[in-house]
Amino acid sequence: MTPDAIHVQPVSTLECRSCGAGAPVDEHFCPQCSRILALGRHGDYFAFLGLPRKLTIDQTDLERRFRELSRKFHPDYFYNASPTERLASLERSSYLNDAYRAVKNPATRIEHLLAIEGMPPVKSEAGTAKVPPGLLEEVFELNEQLDEIREARESGADAAGLSARLQSARAPIDAKRDAHERQLDALAAQWDAQIESGAAAEARRATLDALRERLLERNYINNLLATIEREVASLGIGNQDSGIGRG
Amino acid sequence: MGKVVGIDLGTTNSLVAYVRDGAPYVIRDASGDGLVPSVVSRGDEGTIFVGREAQRRLLTAPGRTAYSVKRFMGRGVDDVRDEAALLPFRVGGEPGGVVRIGLGDSEFTPPELSAFVLRELRQRAEDHFRDQGEFDYEVDRAVITVPAYFNDAQRTATRDAGRIAGLEVLRIISEPTAASLAYGLEKRDRGLIAVYDLGGGTFDISILRVEDGVFHTLATNGDTHLGGDDIDRVLIETVLSELAGSKEQDPAYTALVQAIRKSVIQAKWDLSEHEETEIRVESSPALPNGYRRQITRAEFETMIRPLVDRTVGPVTQALTDAGVEPSEIDEVVLVGGSTRIPLVRRLVADRFGRTPHSDLNPDEVVALGAAVQADILITGRREMLLLDVTPLSLGIETIGGVVSKIIMRNSTIPASGREMYTTSVDNQTAVDIHVLQGERELVADCRSLAHFKLRGIPPMPAGLPRIEVGFQIDANGILSVGARELRTGIEQAIEVKPSYGLTDQEVERMLLDSFEHAAADFDARLLIETRNEAETVINATEKSLRRPDFEAIARAELTPVDVDRIQAALSDLKQAMTSTERDVIHEKTDALNHATRHLAEVVMNRSVREALAGKNVEDV
Repeated sequence: MTPDAIHVQPVSTLECRSCGAGAPVDEHFCPQCSRILALGRHGDYFAFLGLPRKLTIDQTDLERRFRELSRKFHPDYFYNASPTERLASLERSSYLNDAYRAVKNPATRIEHLLAIEGMPPVKSEAGTAKVPPGLLEEVFELNEQLDEIREARESGADAAGLSARLQSARAPIDAKRDAHERQLDALAAQWDAQIESGAAAEARRATLDALRERLLERNYINNLLATIEREVASLGIGNQDSGIGRG
Repeated sequence: MGKVVGIDLGTTNSLVAYVRDGAPYVIRDASGDGLVPSVVSRGDEGTIFVGREAQRRLLTAPGRTAYSVKRFMGRGVDDVRDEAALLPFRVGGEPGGVVRIGLGDSEFTPPELSAFVLRELRQRAEDHFRDQGEFDYEVDRAVITVPAYFNDAQRTATRDAGRIAGLEVLRIISEPTAASLAYGLEKRDRGLIAVYDLGGGTFDISILRVEDGVFHTLATNGDTHLGGDDIDRVLIETVLSELAGSKEQDPAYTALVQAIRKSVIQAKWDLSEHEETEIRVESSPALPNGYRRQITRAEFETMIRPLVDRTVGPVTQALTDAGVEPSEIDEVVLVGGSTRIPLVRRLVADRFGRTPHSDLNPDEVVALGAAVQADILITGRREMLLLDVTPLSLGIETIGGVVSKIIMRNSTIPASGREMYTTSVDNQTAVDIHVLQGERELVADCRSLAHFKLRGIPPMPAGLPRIEVGFQIDANGILSVGARELRTGIEQAIEVKPSYGLTDQEVERMLLDSFEHAAADFDARLLIETRNEAETVINATEKSLRRPDFEAIARAELTPVDVDRIQAALSDLKQAMTSTERDVIHEKTDALNHATRHLAEVVMNRSVREALAGKNVEDV
C-alpha cells in the first residue's frame, strides 16, 4: 500500500454535467445553468476556499468562508435535485470539510502547501525511526533518562518521584518544540512575504525546503512527547484531575 | 406529496413532532400524551400491540413483550449476551449474525420491531393531521434521530426500520445536535454549546459552535450502553439481592422482575422530587408477601454514582477533541429523562461551572429538533444549517490485523477518504477489504462494519494494479464505497456484506411483509412525476424535430453530430421510460435536455421572431 499523493492537475476547465457548458476549475457553480458543478480533480485547498496560497490565515475569515460555502454546497439543499447535482453536492461538501480541516490547523496547512508546491510528502517519513540530525543530542539524552526511569520503576521507586523525573526529562524536548514553533512561524511569514513580492522560484524553493525540514522534526518531537505521555500513563500517575480539562 | 415529520426513536420512549408556521410542536394523543413507549408486544393470535398498551402487557405477558430494542439495533448476537440475560424476552440469532428477538413463537429483527413503533408514530401524526382538517394528511417521509455515538451499522439499522415502516428517511441526525437546533430557534446568536444527553439507553456529549445559524458540531463522544436502563438495573439487582429464595428457574421469575422494574422506576422518579420514598412490589405467586423498602435520595445516589461518573470520561474527551476549555462553554443543554436526576444535574453544573439549561422538556427537545431539520429539508430554507460529525474513525484492516485509519473521528460529514490498493500475486483479480469503525489500533478491538470484495481487476503482474478505493460518509453518517483501477480506469464492482445488518433484499422483504405498503405507493407516485417530466421533454423535442423548417434550422445551426446526439438521447430516454428506475429516467431526461439546449434556443428565437414579424418596435 502506498500513501495517496495529492494530484495537482493542470486542468483549467470543468465540464458542467448538468448542461455541458465549460466552467473555470475554481468555480463551484456553472456560469451557464448555475447548477452545482462536479468536483473534478481539484487539489488546491487554498484556491477552493478562495484564499491566496499563503500561510498566515485569519481564522475568523476562514470560519466565515467555511460557513458560506457550506451553505452553498450542503446536501440538505439538494435532496430534491437530480442525481448529478446530489452527487456533486456530496463531493463538494466533503471536499470543503477536508479543505477547512487541513487549512485550519497550522501544521496540516504547511503540509498541504508543500504538497501542492510539488514537495515530497511529509507524512511518509514521519513514521520512520530515522532521527533528524538536529535532534540527535536531545533524543539520545531522553532515551537514557527513560531507561533509567524504567529501571527505577521496576525496582519499586515511588510514583511521584518517577513522575517528577519524567517531567524533567521532557523539559528539553518541550523547549525544542517551542523553538520549532517559532521557527515555523518565521518561515511562514517569510513565505508569505515572498508570495507578496513575487520572489524568485529558487528563493521560494529554499523556504519550502526549510519548512519541510522543520515540519519533519516537529512531527518527530511530537512522537517523542507522545512516548513520554504513554510512560506517564503506564505509571498510573499524571492526569489525576478527575474534572473536565485538557489531558 | 405527503407530510414530513421529525421522529425521536428512543430506547424507552419515542415521539413525533412537526413544524407549523415556523414553530415545532410535539404531536400528542387525545389525552395530551406525547410519548409513545418504545415497547412492542405480540398477542396470542398474532396481534401486535405498541406503546402504552404494550407497556401494560410487560406485566401480563413479559415473554411476548420487547422493550429497549434500540440497544440491539445494528448489533450482533455475540455482542449482546450479557445484556440479554436480564431481559424477559428471548434474544438470539445465528452466531456472527444479526440479533433476533423472539416474541411468542415469532422472531423479529430489531429494525422490524422499531418499525412497529415508527408506524404507530406515523399513524398518530396522520390522525392528527386529519383531525386538523388537512386534505393532505399522509406522512411518507421523516427525519429520525440517533445517538451521536451510533456507528454506521446502528444508523443503517435505523434507516432500515424507517423503510420497513414505509417511511422514506430523509435524514438521520444525532440527538444532541437536534436538541441544540430546537434551542437554537430562540437563541441563534453565536456561542459554544455543550449538549449533555443521558437517555434511557445511551449517553452522548456534543460540543457545538453556533454562528450565523450554522450549528457546527466540533466533537462528540459518548457511550451507547449507558442510560436510565442501567440505573433501573442497579435498583432491580439491589431488590433481588434482598429477596432471598426467588429462583431464576421459577416460571414466575420473569413476571417478578418486571414487577420490580416497574416499582423501582417509580421510586427513581419520586427521588427526583423527594428526599425519600418507598419501593413497593405487590405480592404475587413468586413473592407471596410482597416487598417494601424505604430508600433515601442519598442511598440512591450512592448506588448510581459509578454509572453517573462514567459520563465524565466522554465529556473530557469531547472537550479535548473540540479544543475547548469547560469555562469557554456558553450554554449547557440537558437532554434525556435521566437528566432529571438531581445527582446528574449537580455533576453537570459542577463540571461546567454553570447551571444547565432545562427550559425545554428534556424528553421532547430532540423530537422538536428533528422536526426543525425536516422543515429545513423540505422548504430549503437556509437560515439554519446543521453540520454534524462522524463519531468514530473509519479504517481498513492492514497486514497483521492492524487498522489503518482513513477518516478520523469528529470529521465533519459528509466526509470522504481514499486508499490505494494493489495485488500481491500475479494475475490476481480480486482483493478482500475489511472496513472497521473505532479508535483502537487492532482489528479485534474495533467494530467490524463490512467485508468488501473488489473484483474484476485486470490480470497484471503483482503490485502493478493501482486500485483507488473511495470511502464516502454521507450527511447521515452512513458509509458507501466505490473503487477504480487507475491504470485501466475500470470501475470495480463491490459486493457489500454488512457485518451486523440486513441486506437490501431482507429489508425489501420485510417491507413487503409489513401491513402497509405506503412506501411502494410513495415510490410509485415519485415515478409518475419523473415520467411526466420526461414526457414533457420528449414531446417538446419531437415537436421541434417535426417543424417544417427543421431541415433549414439543422443546416444553419446544427452539425450532423448534434442531430445524431439529439436522436440518440431521445431514443435513450424513450428506452428508459419503459423501466421503473426513477434515477435513470431522471438522468436521461437531463441528457436530452442537454443535447437539445441549442436547438431549443434557436427554435425559441425563431418563434419570437415570427411572433414579432411585421410589428414595429413601438408595438411590442
